Amino acid sequence: MTAIIQTQNLSKWYGNVLGLSDVTLEIEQGITGILGPNGAGKSTFLKLITGQIKSNIGSVTIMGQPVWNNYPQFSEIGFCPEQDSFYGEMTGWQFLTSLLRLYHLSSTEIEKKADKALEIVELSEDKNRAVRSYSRGMRQRLKVAQSIAHDPKIIILDEPLNGLDPLGRRKIIRLIKEYKGEGRTIVVSSHVLPEIEAMTNQIILIHQGKIFAQGDIHYIRDLIETHPHIISIRCSDPRQLAQKFIHHDFVLKVNFGLKKGVLLVETNSRDKFFGLLPSLFVENQIEVEEITSPDDNLQAVFDYLIGK
Amino acid sequence: MTIKERGYAHWDGELQDGRFPWWPITRIGIRLTFKRKFFKFFFGFTLIPALVWLVGIYVSERLEDFKFMMEGETDFLNVNPLYFKTYFTNDFLLFMVVMILVFCGAGLIADDLRHNALQLYFARPLKKRDYLTGKAAVIFFFLFIVTLIPGIVFILFKLIFAGNFQFFASYPWLILSVIAYSVLITTFFAFYTLLLSSIGKNRRYVSILIFGVYIFSDIFSAIFKEIFRSHYFYLLSIKSNLQQVGAVLFDQRTPWNIPWYYSLTVIIAICLFSAYILKQRVRGVEIIK
Repeated sequence: MTAIIQTQNLSKWYGNVLGLSDVTLEIEQGITGILGPNGAGKSTFLKLITGQIKSNIGSVTIMGQPVWNNYPQFSEIGFCPEQDSFYGEMTGWQFLTSLLRLYHLSSTEIEKKADKALEIVELSEDKNRAVRSYSRGMRQRLKVAQSIAHDPKIIILDEPLNGLDPLGRRKIIRLIKEYKGEGRTIVVSSHVLPEIEAMTNQIILIHQGKIFAQGDIHYIRDLIETHPHIISIRCSDPRQLAQKFIHHDFVLKVNFGLKKGVLLVETNSRDKFFGLLPSLFVENQIEVEEITSPDDNLQAVFDYLIGK
Repeated sequence: MTIKERGYAHWDGELQDGRFPWWPITRIGIRLTFKRKFFKFFFGFTLIPALVWLVGIYVSERLEDFKFMMEGETDFLNVNPLYFKTYFTNDFLLFMVVMILVFCGAGLIADDLRHNALQLYFARPLKKRDYLTGKAAVIFFFLFIVTLIPGIVFILFKLIFAGNFQFFASYPWLILSVIAYSVLITTFFAFYTLLLSSIGKNRRYVSILIFGVYIFSDIFSAIFKEIFRSHYFYLLSIKSNLQQVGAVLFDQRTPWNIPWYYSLTVIIAICLFSAYILKQRVRGVEIIK
């Protein structure tokens, strides 16, 4: 498949701070997730491929054309920034139409496109309300609407699920997946693995400004599987539970937490561990209050992978 | 396999010619300004001097009818370059211009910075130059209404009231002076306002700066002038520099005893400095150092 976005030795510094270092990759049609902890360089990468900042070294091409200063090319790109970018006193409709005017469309086209985008993100009924009265989820959807309103071929979404409730997340995820079906190229960044997993299998792992891995999400899943995980269980009888766990090979360590009734278990196979857990509770009549995974986040995986 | 072959149907309408890519920025700037509380009332108020001068032109052509009101003092009703110079460089008009800037200019860039709107603009086919042109055009729109348009209307009405072209024949260059001074004052205030608007994210803070820098430059220049007894300190005053150059453009004696091109140099230097700062400040993304 032809690469839609290509970068070659892309590097960016902000003064002495390294934003991105020697990134060479190709992004194909479909959804690609950019995954990395906060401050990894995801936003820098997205701003470079949308032509908002210039790289110090290297190049970015979109559909074979360089993106920097290539203003006609920007019509093919839809960008949803991480931060809110609204004039609160404007209505959702005014916000969208004012941005669509920058594409030199006719008034009829602008109205048609604004209506369509608002309908897609399910904001048609609220389009005449001031943006300041929108909920966090509505504002996030409006931000997505402005990125898709002009029918771009490439959509870049920087942390589009940030701060959303589960329902809002589901709506945005569904929207993004629907757009994939229309043959577009979508790049979504996030620091939360399950969010990306819900949208795509294709991921790019980025950490400290460098591309750590690129490919199928199962690859990182495997990495997570081999990464010893700590699981915290608060239950009625942690000592009895610990006794049952120590017979299994995939349990590496058991520990009693400082809080009463808490058992900390370290395992190298989360799937086997969670497969066993329900039967242990039932057979031994142990009441469970809470199960958490204190290090089940991307930062922990990255720390493990880079050997911290 | 290309995107089209995959079944994606891109919009097949026609893009309009983007000859004025800055216009959407200007349009929204003008619209937001008119939405501001009391702006329409205030803007109407700033047109009062233009009305007074227009009435003056009418009266100058009907002196016989208004003799009973004049008590012999009719010199000020001589419609000549001095009459125009007095309109364009009077303290009240310049003060009103600054007040218009407080209303229409303070938030032009500051609001975009506060709302992170620049990244949305620059992710679209809009150059930094177009963005700044669009913002400056908002200021041009409002200031031309109180400078260039009244100037042209004065000339037209003078010709209409006189019923002949004698005035035009006597001062054929006057219309050029009107255009040149209007463009000068508007360009200067566009740079001045955009500079101050780009250095803060708070509209109120910028409003105070626009007003304060103008007023205090005048106060300090007057203080220094009195202390050191030198007219050169008028170069510190925005108002004095504009009045100095204005007098030259309307072929009148300069109000201060300093070469007029010194004032012009100060004005140009401020514009160049503003352009440099604007280039640094107006970016799609915030640069962390």
